[in-house]
Amino acid sequence: MNDLSLDVRVAHIAANRRRSRAARYSTYAAVLALVAWSVYAIVIADTDWNRILNGTLLTTLGRFFEFDYKLIPDLLQPALETLVMATLATLAGLVLSIPVAWLGAANITPLGSASYVFGRLLMTLSRSVHEIVWALIFVSAVGLGALAGVLALAARSIGFISKTIAEAIEDVDNKPVEAIRAAGGTRFQILIFAILPQVIPVLLGNMIFEWDINIRRSTIMGLVGAGGLGLALFRQMAMFNYGGIATVILVILCLILLGEVVSHYARKAVI
Amino acid sequence: MARAGTDAVPDKHYASDTHMSCVLEVRNLRAGYAGREILKDVTFTVDADDFLAIIGPSGSGKSTLIRCVNRLVEPSAGEIRFNGRDILKLPQSELRGVRRNIGMIFQEFNLIERLSVIDNVLTGRLGYTGTLRSLFRMYTGDDIKQALALLDRVGLGEHIDKRADRLSGGQRQRVGIARALIQNPRLLLVDEPTSSLDPKISREVMALIREIAREFHIPVLCNIHDVELACEFCTRVIGLQDGMKKFEGLPGALDKNVLRDIYAMEVL
Amino acid sequence: MRPAGAPPPALPVPLAWRRFRYPQSLYKYGALLGLLAFIAYSVDYLDIDPGRLLDMPGRIASTLANRYYPPNIEHVLAKDYLHAVVETLQMSYLAAVLGIALAVPLAWFASWNMTPSRRFLYPFARLMIMGARSVHEMIWTILLVAILGYGLLPGTIALILFCIGFTGKLFSEAIEAIDPGQVEAIRASGANDFQVFVFAVLPQVRVAWTGISIYSWDALFRAATIVGFFGAGGMGWYLRESVQRIASRDVAAILLSIVAVVVVSELISAWLRTRIAKAIA
Repeated sequence: MNDLSLDVRVAHIAANRRRSRAARYSTYAAVLALVAWSVYAIVIADTDWNRILNGTLLTTLGRFFEFDYKLIPDLLQPALETLVMATLATLAGLVLSIPVAWLGAANITPLGSASYVFGRLLMTLSRSVHEIVWALIFVSAVGLGALAGVLALAARSIGFISKTIAEAIEDVDNKPVEAIRAAGGTRFQILIFAILPQVIPVLLGNMIFEWDINIRRSTIMGLVGAGGLGLALFRQMAMFNYGGIATVILVILCLILLGEVVSHYARKAVI
Repeated sequence: MARAGTDAVPDKHYASDTHMSCVLEVRNLRAGYAGREILKDVTFTVDADDFLAIIGPSGSGKSTLIRCVNRLVEPSAGEIRFNGRDILKLPQSELRGVRRNIGMIFQEFNLIERLSVIDNVLTGRLGYTGTLRSLFRMYTGDDIKQALALLDRVGLGEHIDKRADRLSGGQRQRVGIARALIQNPRLLLVDEPTSSLDPKISREVMALIREIAREFHIPVLCNIHDVELACEFCTRVIGLQDGMKKFEGLPGALDKNVLRDIYAMEVL
Repeated sequence: MRPAGAPPPALPVPLAWRRFRYPQSLYKYGALLGLLAFIAYSVDYLDIDPGRLLDMPGRIASTLANRYYPPNIEHVLAKDYLHAVVETLQMSYLAAVLGIALAVPLAWFASWNMTPSRRFLYPFARLMIMGARSVHEMIWTILLVAILGYGLLPGTIALILFCIGFTGKLFSEAIEAIDPGQVEAIRASGANDFQVFVFAVLPQVRVAWTGISIYSWDALFRAATIVGFFGAGGMGWYLRESVQRIASRDVAAILLSIVAVVVVSELISAWLRTRIAKAIA
C-alpha cells in the first residue's frame, strides 16, 4: 500500500517537473525564434556572400599575420601617449565628477529631489553617450588633437566615477558624522573629516579600474587625431599595411595587459 | 512508512560483501602539501560492521585523512584498498566509479543552497547518471522513488520542495545524509557531522547515522571532535595527533590518560 | 582646599603635536606635488593648448545654436531610419545571445578554481578573453569591415567579440567567488567535471551572471548604435552618412535619437534587474 502512495508521489513530482520544463523550454523557444529572425536579417538578407566567398577573404586574413616587427620601436612613444591620455582623462573625470556626485547623492544633495534627479540624469547621460560621440562633440568644440580626446574620455568617465562617489557617500557610516557634528563642526568639516576618509579607498579602487578601461578607450581616440596608438593604427590602415595593423594591435594588447597587471596590484594596495 | 531497506535500496550490493569483512584498508598513508606533511604513516582498517570514529586535536589531520579515502585530497604515499582494490593506483577517469560507491557527509552540510531538498538528494545519483541526462535533470523514476523513501526515512517527507537554504541546521544535515545514502554506498565518510549543530540536534543526527548505517549494513568512518559523542555512538576509535595514529581500540579504553596524551597540545 | 579665587593648578605643557609628522608628510606632499607636475607635464607632452579649453564653452554654445539647432526630426522618423533602428536591435541581440553562449564555457575554463585543465585550457581561455577585451569594439569593426565588406555581419561579429571579452571576464570572476564546499560535495558523489559545473557552479553564479548579462546588454546596445559609423550598418551608418554630408541638423537629430534609444534601453534593463533580483533572491 505504501508502495502505491510512493508511485503517486513520484508521478506528482514528474508532472511538476514537466510543467516547469514546459515553461522554461517555451522561453528558450522564444529566444531562439528571435535569434533565427536576427540571423536571417543579418547573415542572409544583408550579406553579399557571393562577394565574400569569391573574393579575397582568406588572402586578406593571411596578410594580417605578416607582422611588421620593425614598427615596434616607433610605437613606444605613441604607447606612452596613450597611457598619459588615459591617466589625464581619468584625473579630469574625477575633478568633474565631484560636483555631479554632490548632486546625485541622496543624503547631501542641495535642492532635494530636483537636484538629485538632475545629478543622476547627468550620470546616465555620461554613460549612455558612446566615447566616439563625445569625441565628435569635442572635436567640433576644440578642434582635432589630444585635448578633444582627453575631454571626451573624461566626459565618458564622469558617469562611473560620480556614481561610485555618490553611492559611497550614501552608504557612509553615520557615526563619525554624528561625532563631528556633536563637537561643533561645520558642514564642510563634516565632509572632510567624516565623509571623505570613508569614501576615498572605494574611490581610489574604482578610479584605477576606470583608468584601465580608459586605456582601451584611448586607443580609439586616434580617430580625432588625438595621437597615441590609435593614430598609429589609423595611419597603418590608411596605408593598407595589414602587417602593420596587426603589429599595432599586438602592441595595444601588450599595453592593456600591462595596465591590467598594474591595476590589479594597485587595487590590492589600496584596499 | 515504507522501509527503504526493502523497496528502494537493492540489497544485491551488500550480499557479495558480507564474506569480505574488511571494506577499507589504509596502509602507510602519507599526505601533505606545500612542503608540509600532514599525515605521516597512518595505517588502519574498517570492517563491514564498524562505526569507526577518528578523534584528535584540530590540525591533527582528521579532515585530510577522510578526504584521502575518496581522493578529494591526493595522498603522497601509501595504499588505500577499498573492497580489495588499491584506489590510489587508479587513473582520474576511474575515480568516478569509486566515488559513487562512497557517500560523504560534511561538516557544513554543503548543500546546493538554491536547489530544493529533493533536487539536492537527487544530486547524489550524479555518479550513476549520464552527463546529458543529468543536464536535463532526467532522473529515473526509481531514483525519484528512492529519494522520496530516503527523505521519509530521515523525517523530511513534508519538506521535499523546500529550498535548502530555508532549512534549519539539523534538517540540512538530514538532507546531507539522504544524499549520501541515495548513492547506495559501500562506505560512509562522515566529516565532523555535528560541529555546526547544537548538542541536542547533534545527538539526534549521530543516532540517525548509526541507525541507518546498521539498517543498510554500511560501515562508517567518522571524524568527530566531541569525544563523548564518539564514545556513545561508535564501535571503535582511532586517535590522531600531528598526523600519526596514537591510539586504536574500543571506546571503553579511552580513559583520561589516553585522552591527555592525544590532546596534549589542546585544552579539552 | 585651595583658597577661593586662586587659579587652577597649571596643566603640564604638552609636547608640540603636528598633524603629519616627518616622513609621512613628505610622502603626502610629495605625492600631491608629483601629481601636479604630472598633469603639467602631460598637458605639455600632448600638445594641449589650455587656451582652447577656455574658448570651449563659447564655441560649443555658438555651434549648437547656429548649426545644430533645430534638429531635423523628420530625418529620424523616415522609414529607412526606423528600419536601421530595428537592425541595430537585431545586431545587439544576436551578439548578446551568441557572445554570452560562448562566454560561458570560456569563463569556466578561465576560472582558476574550477577550470578542468589548469595547464592548457586555463591559459588558452584567459588569453582568448583578454584578446577579445583589449581591442576596442570599433577597431574590431574596422578590421572586420576590411575583411567582409560593409554590412551588418562584420558589426555583429565585432559585437560578439566585444561581448566575449566583457562578459567572459566578469563571469569568470563570479565563478572564482563561489563556495568550495558545495563543489566538494558534488565531486564526492562521483560526478564528472561537467556535472560539477552544472550542479555546483551554475546554481551559485546564476544571480550574479544574470546581472552581468543585463549589464553587458547595455554596453552592447550602446556600441551597436555606433558601429555603423565604421561601416557596419544600423543607426551609426546614418550618422556617418550625415556627418559626411555635413548635414548638421540631421546629425543632431540622429545623435538625439541614439541617446534617447540608449537611455530607454538602460531604464528598461535597470527595471529588469531589480525585478529579477526580487524574483531570484
